[in-house]
Amino acid sequence: MTIRVLNPTSEAAVDTMEPAQRLTSLEGKTVGLISNGKEGTAGFFAHVDRLLRERYQVAKVVLRTKSNYSAPAEDEIIDEARNWDLVISGLGD
Amino acid sequence: MNSVVNAIPDAFKSQYFDLEDVADAQEFYHSRGWTDGFPIVPPTPEAVQACLDWVLMPANEIIGIEPVRERAITAEKLAINAVMAGCLPAHFPVVVAAMMAMLKEEFLLHGTTASTGGCAILVILNGSIRKEIGSRSDFNVLGSSDRATSVIGRAIRLALINILQVSPGAIDRSTLGHPGKISYCIAEDEEGSDWPSLAESRDIPKDASAVTVLAACAPRQIMNEWTSKPEEILDTYAAEMRANMRNYSIWSGNYAVVMAPQHREHMRAAGWGRKEIANYLFEKARVKRSEWSTVGKGSVIRDKGDTEYCALPSPDDLLLIAAGGPAGGFGAIIPPWLGTKSRAVTAAIGACIDCEPPSQSK
Repeated sequence: MTIRVLNPTSEAAVDTMEPAQRLTSLEGKTVGLISNGKEGTAGFFAHVDRLLRERYQVAKVVLRTKSNYSAPAEDEIIDEARNWDLVISGLGD
Repeated sequence: MNSVVNAIPDAFKSQYFDLEDVADAQEFYHSRGWTDGFPIVPPTPEAVQACLDWVLMPANEIIGIEPVRERAITAEKLAINAVMAGCLPAHFPVVVAAMMAMLKEEFLLHGTTASTGGCAILVILNGSIRKEIGSRSDFNVLGSSDRATSVIGRAIRLALINILQVSPGAIDRSTLGHPGKISYCIAEDEEGSDWPSLAESRDIPKDASAVTVLAACAPRQIMNEWTSKPEEILDTYAAEMRANMRNYSIWSGNYAVVMAPQHREHMRAAGWGRKEIANYLFEKARVKRSEWSTVGKGSVIRDKGDTEYCALPSPDDLLLIAAGGPAGGFGAIIPPWLGTKSRAVTAAIGACIDCEPPSQSK
């Protein structure tokens, strides 16, 4: 006997996106850091900030913090990110 | 040997598989990560169609869209997972309403299911549907009290796993999780309580059946059989809420309190109803940040030691649930996942909670 059964998953095709152009150097670039705002992020991103400037000669580091660490970043942060050469978004906690 | 299998309804969009038998289906689903580890009921087209027929929904009806990852959930996919969980068609309206409620923006479903915090979705039933589906509200109510609540809670979990990829290690990043993530559904004991139902207290008409969903931690059980005074009984509940605030999360949110008949009888005898209980817990379930020093968290008190935190943003944020077996001075508090980042949502069963009111015809 055969039983016919259905696939329970979404089966949704995942949209593929083009990765951004890779940078060959960070020198003189603007790097944005998107923090989730948790307790451990202050020290973590301060360290990342220092490394980027001292070791990679990044010109400018911009730190932005989400208001809700369990929700996506606000539209204003995403809009601002368009002006950055590189974004680092992480937990840091 | 093959026998003839029934055709797939034209409206179905799901991929299908022809398998040897039920045992084959178990291994097929387990091996693809499509279960919670327990056996499933094979979701045949007939069983799925029966669920859809019960709620009068076409297969392609959109139950809702998960707002963060923008994933649509169709009635067909939800019904497949409900069948797998063991749901009968009569259970499916509850699953639909619960999912609609979970997809409301204020519930923040993605955050609740992805968080390391490891909460589960608590589903609370009210109204006549409780009796129609044979749910129970008495013995072992937070365990496996009856078929209906067990399979409805499981349907929610399987739907999350399969439709929204909330599998452990995929979207689900829980550090620990808890047993409620297998199934977490209870029905309120409306007949055994002289309070308005939870749903009614949350503005659902008395005659409607409803679900309330809460992104919830595991229950914390309390016991006080040594007094009949409402204040003293509630002091035990408040102490457990304060312990949670110190040890887990200090932020205020929707706390659920499950109160069994023995405590409810003392409340009733003293003339205490929902309002009095909620007001009392609102006043008593408070901690100061300085108390963190007693539980090893002194390093984050800083200069805010005198700041007071209340478990509840307001008395109305308490989800007081009448449930539990007849004997024993027990109750439980069920803390929210994370303050007000996710809000409890109550939705009538069989109602479209996002529908626009009909336009005025000329």
